[in-house]
Amino acid sequence: MPVELSSAALHARSTAFAGAFVAGAEPPESFDALAGDLARYQAAHSEGFARLCRARGVDLAAMTSADAIPPVPTDAFKLTRVSTFALEETTKTFRTSGTTVGARGEHFFRDVTTYEAAALASGRHWLARDLTARVPVIVLAPSPAEAADSSLVHMCASFVQELGVPAPPDETFLIDADGVLDLATFDERVANALAQNQPMLVLGTSFAFVHFIDGLGQDTFCLPAGSRVMQTGGYKGRSREVPADVLRSDLARAFGLDRRAIVAEYGMTELSSQFYEQTLFEPAAPLGRYAEPPWARVVPVDPETLAPVLDGAVGIAKIIDLMNVDSAVAVLTQDQVRRVGGGFELLGRAPGAVPRGCSIAIEELLGR
Amino acid sequence: MKRSVAERIADVRRLQHAARTAADDRATLVPAIVASTGLSTEGVELALRRHLELDATDEELTRLVERAGEVSRVSVVLSANVFVGALRALAMARAASSDVVVRPSRRDPAFAQALVAAAVAAGDRGLRLDDALEVAAVEDGEIHVYGRDDTIADVRARARVRVRGHGSGMGVAWVSEGAELAAAARALAEDIVVFDQRGCLSPRIAFVHGADARALAFGDALHAELERQAGFVPRGSLPAEERAAAERYIATMTYACRALVGSQHAIGIAPPGAPLVLPPSYRHLHLAGCVSLAACAALLAPLAKGVVTVGSDDPAAARALAPPGARLAALGAMQRPRLDGPVDLREDA
Repeated sequence: MPVELSSAALHARSTAFAGAFVAGAEPPESFDALAGDLARYQAAHSEGFARLCRARGVDLAAMTSADAIPPVPTDAFKLTRVSTFALEETTKTFRTSGTTVGARGEHFFRDVTTYEAAALASGRHWLARDLTARVPVIVLAPSPAEAADSSLVHMCASFVQELGVPAPPDETFLIDADGVLDLATFDERVANALAQNQPMLVLGTSFAFVHFIDGLGQDTFCLPAGSRVMQTGGYKGRSREVPADVLRSDLARAFGLDRRAIVAEYGMTELSSQFYEQTLFEPAAPLGRYAEPPWARVVPVDPETLAPVLDGAVGIAKIIDLMNVDSAVAVLTQDQVRRVGGGFELLGRAPGAVPRGCSIAIEELLGR
Repeated sequence: MKRSVAERIADVRRLQHAARTAADDRATLVPAIVASTGLSTEGVELALRRHLELDATDEELTRLVERAGEVSRVSVVLSANVFVGALRALAMARAASSDVVVRPSRRDPAFAQALVAAAVAAGDRGLRLDDALEVAAVEDGEIHVYGRDDTIADVRARARVRVRGHGSGMGVAWVSEGAELAAAARALAEDIVVFDQRGCLSPRIAFVHGADARALAFGDALHAELERQAGFVPRGSLPAEERAAAERYIATMTYACRALVGSQHAIGIAPPGAPLVLPPSYRHLHLAGCVSLAACAALLAPLAKGVVTVGSDDPAAARALAPPGARLAALGAMQRPRLDGPVDLREDA
């Protein structure tokens, strides 16, 4: 019997992956089977993806491995709608942060609940699976009202709703629209948590944490025992850049936490899944190694041929994301990664090609 | 000793004669440039034949002398430029000073070395090579540095004298409503093919005035023309990182709208109204249809700082579109600016 390839049915199948993960059960079906169906559905409803498949010579009808799905470069999200549905069916749009030169990428959602289910399942597993009660959650980012198109803020808001003790938004999202941190409220919430002996969950971007550290100087800002911090994202010129291990050490010192309680997250607007370090719950897990949930795979590929590189070699991250139901099940990033010990290491953005001669490179335009 | 304008022009003319002499020694020069630049033999021959600036009017050289100014010494640092650019760089320096020291590009020294040798052989006592020139040790005059932005910034950080930097850039083309598409495609293809699009005047983005169908028709014409020209001027070797950038650009444009992929080139047709992306060099062009010059200018605005020249079949349109300091050119002549100053005039704007 042919499998039904409707958006709703595919959302249900994708969400079932997250449900099984939360329940500690095996995935309900094969990764490759769902990936293949998502690719076939997307090719049937997205001219651009169908064109890409034809150009790559991919026979989707015969395809049995997710590795064969041609990835959509993240640049495409800046130029056109990467989606399988009409504009008027959009219920949520996430946008990449802007630059002077670069256009903003847009990721359109018909049903954002699948995104939320996946984000919560991952977040709970790698940040909060030991928590038996709601805890104070602080977000060093603007509120959803101020940053409605930020996928990161949306994810953090989901965590607040699911894991946090009730608190007003202005006591939770502590960066205002001008980027100013409300340290007094942060302090107050920490004092309350200490008084009630509650661990805290602090979520934020790398540049927000750098501003926090810079403001703190050599002082400390100790969080209650059992607290944990999630830091994510690059800097994009919004603060000085700090190497990952230095930021981790600085945060651990400032918050009075073990370095393993500072958990890095990797995600991007063009995806619906996130990846976390396993340091909080797995004593043997090395710092800097990210884990995939059962519904996403990170495959380092050769940037020219897009063929997977040998295990342990560095490649560009091709990410197969079963939660990207209505956009692109396979996405080609510009991030360099390496598979290691069942996870992957993130090695920064691949350097752009610098043309020989005096023809300008995009990095130079960005720098002007 | 101060030189008159006429003497300074004469010094530049001597340099042009030296360039002709150097270029005439094809048997030695061409293989060396092919080896160092990665251009094809035909590509090097084309550049020497059509893009070495051997003819200039007195009026143009007077303008060059004015723009050069006058200083006691010029130390020229050449790097990462199209190889014939050495002539203009040395012409600017020689116009500015009767004492010029040249450090050729380490990666691509052949033409600059041949040029200086020919000039010295012809009696120019104001020009010499110094492969070991150290910018921090230059104590008087000016440093003229050609290269990427980070190279210029590095020289500026170390230098103790004035630095005139000539950085990277790109060309932009406008195909007007009245243009005959086949002729415009032929001319633009010539601008793209030379130097394999590695010059700061090389067109990387083209706009076609009119409906989307016209942009597609122009894309098809350009696609055919680039394929035809590759038959007699093949593209040189493509570095691995450029091949990767090309693959990514082609995949992006295939998804977004359309990519016309030739044996040695690719053209990305932009979706209507989409923001511009910068394609890789090595014969890749981003093509966008525009309903008006104003719409085109709005699309170009975020990239305007990188535009060194605007080429068009319609001079008035080119003038309207050009950011301050950008040169104007006819299609097919974008890579042949007059010898009237530096290629990049943005700093003076």
